[in-house]
Formats: sequence, C-alpha cells, structure tokens
Amino acid sequence: MATVQLKNIKKIYPHSESKQKKGLFGKKKDEEPEKKHNLQITAEGTVAVQQFSLDIADKEFIVLVGPSGCGKSTTLRMIAGLDTITEGELYIDGRLVNDVPPKGRDIAMVFQNYALYPHMSVYDNMAFALKLRKMPKAEIDRKVREAAEILDITEYLDRKPKALSGGQRQRVAIGRAIVREPQVFLMDEPLSNLDAKLRNQMRSEILKLRQRIDTTFIYVTHDQTEAMTLGDRIVIMRDGFIQQIGTPHEVYNHPHNLFVAGFIGTPQMNFFQTRLECENGEFYVPLYGTRFELNEKQKQMIKERGIEPQEITLGIRPEHVSLCKEGGVEAEVDVSEMMGSSVHLHCSVQGEEVVVIVSGLELGEEHASGFSHGEKVRLHFDSNVLHLFGADEVNLL
Amino acid sequence: MISDRRKNALIFLIPSLILLGVTIVLPLAYSFFISFFSVDLKYKGLGAFMGFGNYASALKDQYFMGSIKTTVIFSVIVVVIEFVLGFAIALLFNCKIKGKNIFFSIVIIPMMITPVAVGLTWRLLLHSTLGVVNWLLSFIGITGHAWLADNATALGTVIFIDVWQQISYMVLILLAGLVSLPKEPYEAASIDGASRWQSFKYVTLPLMAPTFLVAILLRLITAFKTYDLIYVLTKGGPGTATEVVSYYIYKQAFTHLKTSRAAAMSFILLLILIPVSYIATRILRNRNEG
Repeated sequence: MATVQLKNIKKIYPHSESKQKKGLFGKKKDEEPEKKHNLQITAEGTVAVQQFSLDIADKEFIVLVGPSGCGKSTTLRMIAGLDTITEGELYIDGRLVNDVPPKGRDIAMVFQNYALYPHMSVYDNMAFALKLRKMPKAEIDRKVREAAEILDITEYLDRKPKALSGGQRQRVAIGRAIVREPQVFLMDEPLSNLDAKLRNQMRSEILKLRQRIDTTFIYVTHDQTEAMTLGDRIVIMRDGFIQQIGTPHEVYNHPHNLFVAGFIGTPQMNFFQTRLECENGEFYVPLYGTRFELNEKQKQMIKERGIEPQEITLGIRPEHVSLCKEGGVEAEVDVSEMMGSSVHLHCSVQGEEVVVIVSGLELGEEHASGFSHGEKVRLHFDSNVLHLFGADEVNLL
Repeated sequence: MISDRRKNALIFLIPSLILLGVTIVLPLAYSFFISFFSVDLKYKGLGAFMGFGNYASALKDQYFMGSIKTTVIFSVIVVVIEFVLGFAIALLFNCKIKGKNIFFSIVIIPMMITPVAVGLTWRLLLHSTLGVVNWLLSFIGITGHAWLADNATALGTVIFIDVWQQISYMVLILLAGLVSLPKEPYEAASIDGASRWQSFKYVTLPLMAPTFLVAILLRLITAFKTYDLIYVLTKGGPGTATEVVSYYIYKQAFTHLKTSRAAAMSFILLLILIPVSYIATRILRNRNEG
C-alpha cells in the first residue's frame, strides 16, 4: 500500500545503446518489446516517454493503455527500476526512488511472458523472494500455500513451469507477486499471451484479487476492454505522451482528443469530416444533408469558450446511431456482424463507413439473424452525444 | 511406402552417404574385422584368427593400461581447468565491456591454429636453452629448465599447452549458452530482491547446467582422443610420462606394425567413449526438445 508519484518523467534510449545491445553472435540481446514508429528522435536518442506526470493514490488501480510503442511498458519498467529514468522524479510512498534498485522499492511485478524460473518448481518460484529475505520456513510455507489456495494452483505446487498451461503459469506469476505483499503491484500485459476465454476469466480473477489484496496496482495493457473493466483510472498514452488520464467513464464519454475517442470503445467511434456552422447565432453541424442542432449544454459551452465556426471532425459512437423507419440518413449495409445480444452493422453512407450497434431487442423477427449485404436502412444520429474535434484534434466541448 | 518428399531427400543424400560409407563406415567395419585376426604389416594376409585374443592381451598390457591412466589424468585436469577458466572468461564476455569483439577474436585465435603448429610453436618457446620462456624466467632466477623433457613437468606442460589452445572452444560453447539465456528470469529475480551474486547462484548456474554438461562431455571426448599435440611435443615421453592412449595405439599400428592389436585397442577406447557421447547427445536432444 503506497502512493506513487511520477513527476515529469522522461526516458531516452541512447542511440549507442541499441548498438551495444547487439550480442557477440549478432543477436540482439535485449530486444525492445515495442516498435518505435512515431517516437521523437533527438541527438541523445529515442525519446520513449516524456512529460509523464501522474499521482497514483494509495490502493488505486491505474491502467496504462495505448498501442504498441506508446511507452506504457517503458513507464512501468521505470517504476519497477528495470529501466533507468532519464529525467524527472519518481516517488513511492513519498520516497524518491530514482536511484533505488528494484529490490529496494518493495514492488512486485507480473511479466507478460510470466518470467518464471524454469528450473524451479511452482512452490520454489513463489517462495524464492521470501527465501531471499530469510523468512522462516514455516512462514514461507504458510504464505505460499495461502497464495496457491487463492489462485487455485495448490495441486501444481510440485510441478515445473514447463508442465503448466499458459493460464496456470500466469497464476504462478501472480502468486509469486502476491506472497511478497508488496507496496505496489505492477503488471505488464499479464493477459496478452492467453486465449480470449482465459483472458476474460483471468480478468475477473484479477478484479477479485484486487478486492482481496488491497494494494496499489499499476497495470499495463494494449487492450482497452481490460483497461475499462479493471482501472479506477486509465492513462491513455501515445508516442510517449499521455493523451488523457481519467476514470473509464470519463475517457469513454469525454475523450480529450481524437486519438482517445478512437482508441477507447469497440467498435470504434464513427468520425465524419464536416464543419461547425453558425446561423443567426445558433450553432449546428451539417451532415449528409441533415442538420445536427446542438443541445443547450453544448451551445452554452461553445459560447463560454468563444468557439468560432470551423472545420471539425464529428465523432459519434456506434451505439448512438440507431435505425429508424423514416427520416434520418439512408445507408446500405456492407457487413452485418451477429454478436449474440446485438448486431454490429457496417453501413456505407455516401461512400463513407458508419458502424451501428443494433441491440437484439430492436431487431424484430425479420432481422433476427442480422441484415443481408446491400440492404437499405435508415440511420438516426443522436445529437445529444456528439463529439466535436477541432483542427488540432482536441475535443472542443 | 516412401513419400515423394522423402524419396527426393534420399536422392540428394546418396552422394554424401556413399562418401561417408567409403571413408568412415567401411574402414570402421574393416578395422573391427581385423581386430579378430593377427594382421602384421610385415607379413601378407590376415594372419591367424585370434577371436578376442587381441582384446584380452590389450587389457593385460600394462603400457596400454598405463596410457589409459595417463589419458584419464590428462583429460580430467584439462577439462576441469578449461571449464573453470573458460566459464570465467565467458562471463566476462557476457558483460558490457569496451573492445569486447577485439578481445573475443584474440581468445578464439588458438582454436583456429592446427595442433601441429601449436605444438611446434610451443616447443620452440619452451626450448631449454633457446626458448623465450626460459629467457623470461631467467629474470626471476629460474634457469634452463627442460619443461618437456623432465618427467616431473612434461605432463603439466602438455596440459598447459592444451588448455591454452582448447580453452577458446569452452569459452565459445559457454558464451553461446550464456547469451541465449532468457533475460526475464533475471528481471524477475532483481524484483524479487536477489543481489547479483544471488542471481548468478540461483538463476545463471541452474539455467546453465545443461550447457555445462554438454561442454564438459564434448570436451572430455576430444581430450580423450588427443594425439597430434603429444606427437609433436613429446612423442609420449620422457619415458611414458605423456603417453596418452591414442598415441600408444598409433605406436602399436605404425611403429610396431601390429595392426590387429591397434584395432582392438581402438575399439576398447571406443567402448569407453560411447557412454560419454550417449549422455551428451541425450542432453542435447532434451534441450532442443524442451
């Protein structure tokens, strides 16, 4: 249990380091886990993370989420002490730990590829940290068995990691972290190597675990579903920068910019290039020949912020588009994805793709198994939940 | 039925199979065959059928048994020194050090020199009156020692030269093992609170164990067969101080011309080495499968 503060953290991978990393046999020794596409490259090196400031409260569950190469794992590794911090300050429980080695930080970490000790049994894997601390054997035994009980791996305690399935290995990795009773629990994409079903199961187990071992969690994932379901707050990153910090509700309903709006939510938010127009002091957004009038709250905000008519990107989530019998915009169904409780319709409207989520209840008899290709439908856009993004991609409202 | 794929593979393999058959299998089979006769190069023909007589007399030959003892002493000492030193050097190369590639090239140079050249070079260096070694030693008061001609120092000197040459082989295998170790367990260990020494003891050593075994066994096999270095350096002498089994067998076959006897001795040596190589291949196979 501890607070974690990151103040203006920056990480630069020096240019020479990548050369040094080539081992004697031409094999890259420390392979970078993520590709670096749009990262800033300076004279000193590749900037993996910059201007990263975040206050994590005691017992908070923070999720760092973003696409590959956004710097989320690097940030976690800096918190763990596995990567050095180039600039900025990191405090754990109020103590500056920039130069403290991992073992002095009282953290535990679960790795993406489990990082179990292959030569040790499950029991020894879990007991290793406690043995190093010279804890009495009886207490080690009690803790290991307790953790194994929680994670339902008691029957595998004598096995080697090689003899376990991916899900079981991940439980062992989590167990190894639990027995330590760390101040901060770090998890680096712990579920990404598991199949979809197991992932869902483990996700709910992590939620249960969190209730049992009430401590600070920092969780890295590229999966926005994991981020939304697990996090008290979510930090969305891209190209080394924080894009938005907020509760799942906030980032979903009030995305700070176009990137966050597109990244959070499946299917992705629909975007339309259009204009914010003003006629007789009334703001509206034209789209496919119809006019979206803004609601009072939106108009109020536009007035307060002195927003001028301009080119915008209009964002509407698929669940805010519905089918209607009359009015609306005519569209043609391209693909109909039956999801069980709902249908995801990929329609084309004047050559642009619009995704619609139609709930099972609305489908009716004739469309019980979805829609056929080329079928004409009419779409209604809910103007109460529009997102307007300016030329700088930032949410105007 | 053989599938087309296998048939094609077989067609391409035939030339090498013929070559291997003619150069390895045939001589091996022939030597096994003549080990039951009394072939003597001084006379024509196979001579009398001896059954296991050559084998029995070889086992009763005190010089043969002595040479096996010398070989065991030589091999064990050489492998132990090479392993300990080689692992230390491999660990150094596994760290980030400047000019690593240059040092590495230097370390593996001896491996690329033929044993005969190594032997001749060291014989000159160790020459009792003209050698550089004794000249350098003279500065600290040691004068004119005949390293290779003295019963007390001959085997030690041969061991030293063999270590000098063969250590790079050990370094290479062990370094390859170190480089291919996964890095995640080390990160996990550092988070678990392990010091560098504890990481080495609890992670590196156990993970390297299969590599250790393979390196030691492979080197043991080659050390057991050492012949060329002995031939150039001492010819087994002084007396029989450095007479290893391969050299003794060579002498039986080409000095005393007792071909059948030498063949029987070779097969005894083979019997000693088969279990060792069997264990080595088993470990290698397990590791590749695991």
